[in-house]
Amino acid sequence: MRDVLRLSFTLAVVAIVSAVLLTGVHNTTEPVIREREQRDFLEALERFFPDIDEYETEETGDHRYDLIFDETGDKLGVMATAKTQGYDGTITYNLAVDSSAEIIGIVIVSHSETPGIGDVITTDNFQEQFIGKSFEDPISDGEDVDVVSGATLSTGAMIGSIRRTVTEIGENFLDKERQVLGLEDISDGIYRGSVEGTYGPLKVEVEFKDGRINSIEVLEHNETEAYYVDAYPKIPEKIIEEQSLNVDVQTGATLSAERIVAAVEKALEGAPEDTGGGDNN
Amino acid sequence: MAEDNSYLKDFSRGIIKENPVFRLLLGMCPVLGVTGYLVNGVGMGLASTAVLIASNVVIASLKNFIPPQVRIPCFIVIIATFVTIIEMMLQAFQPVLYEALGVFVPLIVVNCVILGRAEAFASKKPILRSLVDGVGVGIGFTLALGVLALVREVLGQGTVMGPDPESAIILFGENFEPMGLFGQPPGAFIALGLLLGLVNVLFKKFHI
Repeated sequence: MRDVLRLSFTLAVVAIVSAVLLTGVHNTTEPVIREREQRDFLEALERFFPDIDEYETEETGDHRYDLIFDETGDKLGVMATAKTQGYDGTITYNLAVDSSAEIIGIVIVSHSETPGIGDVITTDNFQEQFIGKSFEDPISDGEDVDVVSGATLSTGAMIGSIRRTVTEIGENFLDKERQVLGLEDISDGIYRGSVEGTYGPLKVEVEFKDGRINSIEVLEHNETEAYYVDAYPKIPEKIIEEQSLNVDVQTGATLSAERIVAAVEKALEGAPEDTGGGDNN
Repeated sequence: MAEDNSYLKDFSRGIIKENPVFRLLLGMCPVLGVTGYLVNGVGMGLASTAVLIASNVVIASLKNFIPPQVRIPCFIVIIATFVTIIEMMLQAFQPVLYEALGVFVPLIVVNCVILGRAEAFASKKPILRSLVDGVGVGIGFTLALGVLALVREVLGQGTVMGPDPESAIILFGENFEPMGLFGQPPGAFIALGLLLGLVNVLFKKFHI
């Protein structure tokens, strides 16, 4: 019995001393760490917005947006602090967007991508291709930006996340609306379109009848099944219900959802496969 | 055995005869994980050395207070305390190194070099000798990480003192294509194997 007491006492003493020490060190280092983070952030702000006078912070979910104002109170742009899932852990980055919704800078704050492979996301070569791209650009692989082969997942994740962040900034803070395809001018028929996914193409068939999107069918896809079930058939149903491509794609499968919308848009932009009616096979 | 001689022995044993990496093959996780760049390898070695010296001294001075039945949990708590202190210090004053070492800093807690020295040496020997032992093993560990990191950085990146572009010295011309393999963990295994072989040959030759 005495033994047990002595053992517990020893352990408790060791633990208490350790806790006291740690608290002390934490209290001294914490302000230094906070201050440095704040300074780094302000430096980044001043680099991209030299005329900055003050900023206002808004937080939505995982993301943080800092609206930048100059001395006269004009909005200079938005600095977003966004997170995305990379190949190996979370990538946190700052995205600077000016008042016309054009990207003016990217800073990777922290990441744990593979050294020598996924860490190309920190290089100027990769980041420069986004500079000057705006809200209205597609910002998608193979169209106006490219993934780096060998680091497809890391760079693909960045491209997708940057596109979403710019869209969000444009819509929420800069009063821009993405130009979506008007459905009025489309003639009836069956349309097919495809977009490139991470692992291969995603093909859809859209039936357009009496000025309405009548049905959407995914003919082929290479999405991760676990995510894909969240996007299909939910997203096509939404498009048909709202008769618009401007649907909310924030599901558990944002990437797959976006691809379906993009494929439908591509399909409707093109020429119909046949004039529909369903009589001719 | 003369007393003054044993300090020197305690010191040199950790560097040469019982080098934790090249002779005992202990603590392989950080050895393979952070040796992509010389700066990171040496930084990791120094962080481990600091923890090792501190824990060796504390454990040696507490050896009569800690009952043998609970020594392992006590050692781990002591080591973990020092590791956490080092981690917070790095984050506050060496943020670049802290980012580069990442998860390997908290993992120093379970580095078997440190627990091994605590168990095999510090818990049985006087304070001063434990201090000397900690310094010796720490230098041996840092040295080994440094050598391995240097080989890997030169072959895998073609630089020395990277990855910070300001301090990096590019060794080869523009057309040099670095061997990406050596930047990756498999390359670490290959480089480590070659170095182990070299060390064995040298030891045989000089009859150490």
